[in-house]
Order: sequence, then structure tokens, then C-alpha cells
Amino acid sequence: MIVEILEALFLILTFLMAAYLVRHYVFTLAVLNHTSKRKRAAIITRSDAYQPPVSILIPAHNEERVIGRILQGMTKLTYPKDKMQVIVIDDGSTDNTRKIAEGYAKPHNYIEVIHRNQMDGGKGKASALNAGLKQAEGEIIFCFDADYYPQRDIIEKLVAEFTDPKVGAVQGRVTVLNEPQNVVTRLVALERIGGYRVDQQARDSLGLISQFGGTVGGFRRDLLKSLNGWDESILAEDTDLTFRVYLAGYKIRYVNDAECYEEAVENWSDYWKQRYRWAKGHMQCFFKHSLEVLKSSNLRPREKIDGLLLLGVYFMPILVLFSWVIGVPLLLTRSSQWLSMCWVFIPVSLYSFVGNFAPFFEVGIGAYLDGRTRAYWLIPLLIFTFLYNIPICTKALVDLFISKILGKNCNHWDKTVHTGNGNSYIIN
Amino acid sequence: MLKEKMVRIRHSILGFFAGIIVTYIIILSFYLVNNQAALMLMIFDFLFVSLVFPLDGTFVKKIELLLIGNVIGLLWNSVFSSFSYVAACYFGGFLNVLYMILNPLLNLIWVVSFWSISLSVLASSKRVKVNRLDS
Repeated sequence: MIVEILEALFLILTFLMAAYLVRHYVFTLAVLNHTSKRKRAAIITRSDAYQPPVSILIPAHNEERVIGRILQGMTKLTYPKDKMQVIVIDDGSTDNTRKIAEGYAKPHNYIEVIHRNQMDGGKGKASALNAGLKQAEGEIIFCFDADYYPQRDIIEKLVAEFTDPKVGAVQGRVTVLNEPQNVVTRLVALERIGGYRVDQQARDSLGLISQFGGTVGGFRRDLLKSLNGWDESILAEDTDLTFRVYLAGYKIRYVNDAECYEEAVENWSDYWKQRYRWAKGHMQCFFKHSLEVLKSSNLRPREKIDGLLLLGVYFMPILVLFSWVIGVPLLLTRSSQWLSMCWVFIPVSLYSFVGNFAPFFEVGIGAYLDGRTRAYWLIPLLIFTFLYNIPICTKALVDLFISKILGKNCNHWDKTVHTGNGNSYIIN
Repeated sequence: MLKEKMVRIRHSILGFFAGIIVTYIIILSFYLVNNQAALMLMIFDFLFVSLVFPLDGTFVKKIELLLIGNVIGLLWNSVFSSFSYVAACYFGGFLNVLYMILNPLLNLIWVVSFWSISLSVLASSKRVKVNRLDS
């Protein structure tokens, strides 16, 4: 009886893994198709005439090494400065963040600095963004992380999507600035290629759930206000807002041309902290939104399926581990043909749920389309990031359950430390 | 027009023969090695044909890469299974069990590596084409 239950469980897990693989395969095909169509179209039309007033929120907590870089980037934006309001939210910093930001605010009247003392500040990004939202006057609210460096015409590219009244938010592309730093930054860059160049692009062209990634994106202010801003009780405030936007009947557009450069984590310890926060936040979103997604009348069936798969993505490393645990004894005790065939799916999945959860073939095609010829050679190493994600996601789930049982607040925001090493890759 | 038609016919013939060879290799791996090896080759072929063939690069080069990939897969599996059988004779059946568990993972090492190499080869042929056009 127990063996039969284990067999059924193993089959379900294999089916789930296969579902994710098929999803990513469809994404890769869709992007290949989309790219060839764009080649034929050749000319991209963009409405440059639409230039509403915008507010750009930059939350910063102890970012003295990078805040100057993004503010310098803001001064170089080609968007009309009289229609632009840049708000730096100094979130209880104890370093020179405030001083540097004020240094930029003095000669540029469109840059403002909000100070939050150490009592109010340092509670996480969502809290800082909500403080910035109160001051924001623009029709469209953008947010950028302090370690990012934007393209000069990024706002024009992103704002153009808002000409469609059904669009509630936009998301630009994230590219790693300090990629040549070391193997960790190179692997993160590969994850980003898979996650943005293929995953986000495919979801956008297939009309599925395009995800707001927490930065390099913008919202209609009215919509954001009606949704009560960012939810401070969720660690993945970006994923939470993504689903609230879709559940409200709006959609999010992804603009691949709107690139912004980020300073990726440079060591495995920072990688752990960042992914742990993402995993836990994503799991919180799964428990918060799964039922709403299923019941929603604003979502089409394919959006519901994609939404559920997206919400459950951080459970996959745990499920792969689980399938190994029950698969090995089954394989040893019951050597059947179907079991042996299903077994093949587990290692294929190992390469499929890394970082941004893109399989090796998706990352490869993304790198090819980007013309990143040297990057392919590192694809086999992605297995290490996957293996590293197993304990990260497992700990996130265990901690989430423990905090639920004990009724404790588990939302400690472990900030990613930025070294400012990315500055050396910018040519002024 | 006629030249284009000839090229298309040549590609169809080439594709047909490549398909036959690939099918033989898969059948061979099923009988010589095991069903996992055959399934892995099928996964590789499916991904390669559907995702690499639409990329830039000549059809002949893609067919070459596909065939090389299949031969590597067959050799890889044959070597590992022979090794496990021989090792099992000396060190006991435990190694056979270990091989059975780790086999798909070992297979993925060549699949992913060969995938990366194939993309590099196609990208370099794309670069050569661009350079020729530039000059």
C-alpha cells in the first residue's frame, strides 16, 4: 500500500516537473518566433508624443557606494526634466547616502530627497516605496533600485506602453552590469538572460502574466493608489503587486528594449540572502493569491495556469529534492519500465529550476539572441546554482511554516549589500 | 528559382537520411545500453531540432551537429554502462545500482555541454557571415 502511494506521489511530481519544462519550452519557441517576426517587421513604431509627468522612486538604505551612480544616470535621462520628479527615499541610512543624494538634489530641482529616521526607516523596500508614493505627483510612478544604472531613453520606451488604457504597469529589462567580476556574477547574468530575454518576453508575447520585477518598472498612479500601494507584509512586494494588478483587470507589458543595468550579487553568501528573501516572499504570494487567481473573472484560463505556475516556482527545487528522496527507494525496490523512464525527468529538471528558473535550453537561446557568444560556455555550471537553490528554498519554506505556527513576524528584510564595483564598468 | 528548389530538395534528402541515422542510433542505444539512454537521446534530438534548427547557420552544419551529438550520446552511454558492468563484477552490484540512479544526471552533462558548444558553433558561423558581408 505504501509503495503504491509513493508511486502515485512520484508520478504527480514527475508530471509537475514536466509541466514546468513544457512551459519553458513553449516560452523558448515563442521567443524564437517573436524574434523572427520582428526581424521581418524591421521598424519598431513607438509613440514618442506621449510624455506624461512621471515620478521615479529610488529607495536607498545605506547605498553610499551606488546612489551617486543612479542619480548621475537620472540626470542623463532624455525625458523632459520638467515632466520628471525623482524621489530618493533615504530609508534610515547610517552612511553618506543622504549627503550624496542631497548633493545631486541641490543643482537639479527635479531631484528630491525624503529622509526617514531610523525608527521609521529600514523596514524594507515596500515601506520605503510607500513613503515615496505619498510625495509622488507624476501620472506614472516608476521605481528603480539604488544599484541600477538606466539607459538614457528608458522612460520614453516604458511610458509608450501606457497609451493602451488596459496597461496598468510596465517592466523593463534587467542586465547585469558587473558580469565580468567573477563566476557568481556571470552565472547571475545567465539567469537574468533566461529570465528576461526569454521568460518575460515570451509571457508578454503570449499574453500571459508578465511579472513586475520590483525595479525598472512603472505603474499608473491611480491604479497604485487604488491598490493601496505596496504590501509591507510581503517580502516579494513586486510579485504581490503583479498579481494585484492582474486581479484588478489590468495587464503588465514587458519592454525588452528598455534596458537597465544592475549590480549583481558578487558572492554566494549574498546570493543566499537575496534568493532566500525572494523564495520566502514568493511563497507568501502563493498562499495569498493562489485561490484568488483561480476564482478571478479578470483572468483568462491560460493566465490562470501561468499565474499558478509562476506562484509555485520556488517550490520546485524542494519538490525535485522530494522526488529524489522517494524515487531512489522506488527505483531500487520496484524496477519497472515507467519508473525508469520518469526518472529521466528529474535531472532534466535540475537544469530547469535555477535562479530565475529557466532551463538550460532557454538560457542558451536567450544568450544566442543577445549575441552573448562567450556566455554559453558557462551553461553547464548552472547546475551548481540549482543545487544551491534547494537548501535556500527549503529553509525559506520551513521558516515560513515555523513563523506561521508561532505567529511571529517573519518579514525581516535582509538587505543586499552593494559594493559599487559596477561603477568601473560604466563609460562616461 | 531553380537553384532554390534544388537546395530545398538537397536539404530534404539530407534531412531524411539524417533522420534515419538518428533513429538507428536511438534504437541501438535502447538495445545496447538501456531505455533511459534512448529517452535522453530523444529529448536531445527533440530540443535540438525544434530550437536550434530555426537559428542562423547552414542546414548542413546543423545536421552535422545533430549527428555528432547523437554519436557522442551513444558513445557516452556505452562507455558508462560498460564501465558500470565491469566495475560491478569486481566491486559488487552496488555500482550498478549507483549507475542506474545517476545515469540521467551523467547523460545531462553531455547534453548540456554539447548544447552550449552547438550554439557557439552556430554563433561563430553567423559572425563569419557578417564579417564576409562587411568586407
